[in-house]
Amino acid sequence: MMESLEQYLRHHAETMPGKIAVQAHDAAITYRQLWNDVTAEAEAISRDPRRAIVLKADRGWRFIGSYLATHLAGKVVVPVEKDIPDDKFKAIDKLVNTVGMDARVSDVLFTTGTTGKQKGTMISQQVILADADNLINAQGFSPELLFIITGPLNHIGSLSKIWPSIIVGATIYVMDGIKDPDAFFSVIENSPVKVATFQVPASLRILLQLGHDRLAALAHKIDFIETGAAPISQSDMEAMCRLLPDTRLYNTYASTETGIIATHNFNDGHCVAGCLGTVMKNSVLEINPDGFIECAGPTVMLGYCGDPEETARILIDGRIVTRDKGTIDDCGRLQLSGRDDDVINVGGFKVNPIEVEDVAMDIPAIADCICIAAPHPVLGWALRLLYQVENGCQLDNKSIARHMASKLERYKVPHLYTRVDKINRTYNGKLDRKSYRE
Amino acid sequence: MKEHIRTLLEDLLPLVDLDSDFLFAELDSLGVTTIMMVLSNEYDINLDARDATPRNLRSLDSIVEMVNRKIAEKP
Repeated sequence: MMESLEQYLRHHAETMPGKIAVQAHDAAITYRQLWNDVTAEAEAISRDPRRAIVLKADRGWRFIGSYLATHLAGKVVVPVEKDIPDDKFKAIDKLVNTVGMDARVSDVLFTTGTTGKQKGTMISQQVILADADNLINAQGFSPELLFIITGPLNHIGSLSKIWPSIIVGATIYVMDGIKDPDAFFSVIENSPVKVATFQVPASLRILLQLGHDRLAALAHKIDFIETGAAPISQSDMEAMCRLLPDTRLYNTYASTETGIIATHNFNDGHCVAGCLGTVMKNSVLEINPDGFIECAGPTVMLGYCGDPEETARILIDGRIVTRDKGTIDDCGRLQLSGRDDDVINVGGFKVNPIEVEDVAMDIPAIADCICIAAPHPVLGWALRLLYQVENGCQLDNKSIARHMASKLERYKVPHLYTRVDKINRTYNGKLDRKSYRE
Repeated sequence: MKEHIRTLLEDLLPLVDLDSDFLFAELDSLGVTTIMMVLSNEYDINLDARDATPRNLRSLDSIVEMVNRKIAEKP
């Protein structure tokens, strides 16, 4: 086993220089070209005095080159949302370049915190290689595969698919979402080899909704599809099994903090929502006496950047104590039963309502507000902002949405807005979240 | 029809400028799906992946054209 992703890239550049490494609608980069680009960019990055380089995940396939080049230059790469507001970008840049970081840190991935403040999860090359090894062994990544990445590359769900693809020498196809589903299906149709992809449950529902027949017609071209990051409904799972009878369909348990832990092919006869399969090769998973999932092994994070208190709260003796509740069935499969905090999962992105409410309360005309989860036909759950207006003030939903979008990443901006006379609070003045749960 | 579609979509897509001539660029995959689902239900037409193209979703006018075309194609 090599010691870094970049060593694998170099090896492939030498042994199969003409193989396509990264593809997009406007590019096809061979392993040799990618290695040349990465080494040239690494040389430039190495002259940057900063230890950590914050990279917006907004340049499609070019992001992959910069990501690998930053590693090769011996720097820490910090991928962030492509639409991150400027003040947040600057705050992250300042944080990651002022706090001390362990020499092993290779990436800092920002995730939703339980307190409304984002946390920078520090991972190492060891974590990357262990996660990749888990995926290669459990899902069957191979050199004869075109892996289509459509999600944001700062999110572990998509970023982690670069890792096994590079290691095995597969081809990565980068697309900016699936808003043009016809283009997505055309990539599958035109691929000379079998394809695989990662799609959050909301994206699978979009594909089922808009491309039911196309998906069925392309079944023979799809090696496997992985989903995760949010619960997938039983009906969508069954629809996928009917359309793609010979395709491996994986539901995976993973998080930025724990790494990639367990996966289940729900097209193998056991199609049950919430079943996330058996634990992968490099991981350890146990249910603690309170019913919470605990994970250990080489895939777990090193800690939170600049936040030793929060690190000590969640990472205890090398074990991550999650807020996810679950059980292990007789066959050793993890069955997820829910989450025990206020975080709302919007199409695979975890949002802390406190962060949304803080931004809404900056609007002078809002007297009080609460951000709640509302059922949504595609996302599963969407954010709804209930707001109370100050006496005598005028306010419309569009102005609130635009204010929110100027301060928050797009996925944290509520889709729905409702003006109410009063927001429910408990006797001691806290937001009464329970009273709004559906 | 244009104003009716605008009303239907306004509340569901609060961040999208429906008067833009670059509407497709403003949409994400959820926005595209929302438009297709809402219009399919409202006009009882069949809209799928082949219809969700940048050309058909370029502007509110091109969406109206797509809906009119689909209505005309109905058996």
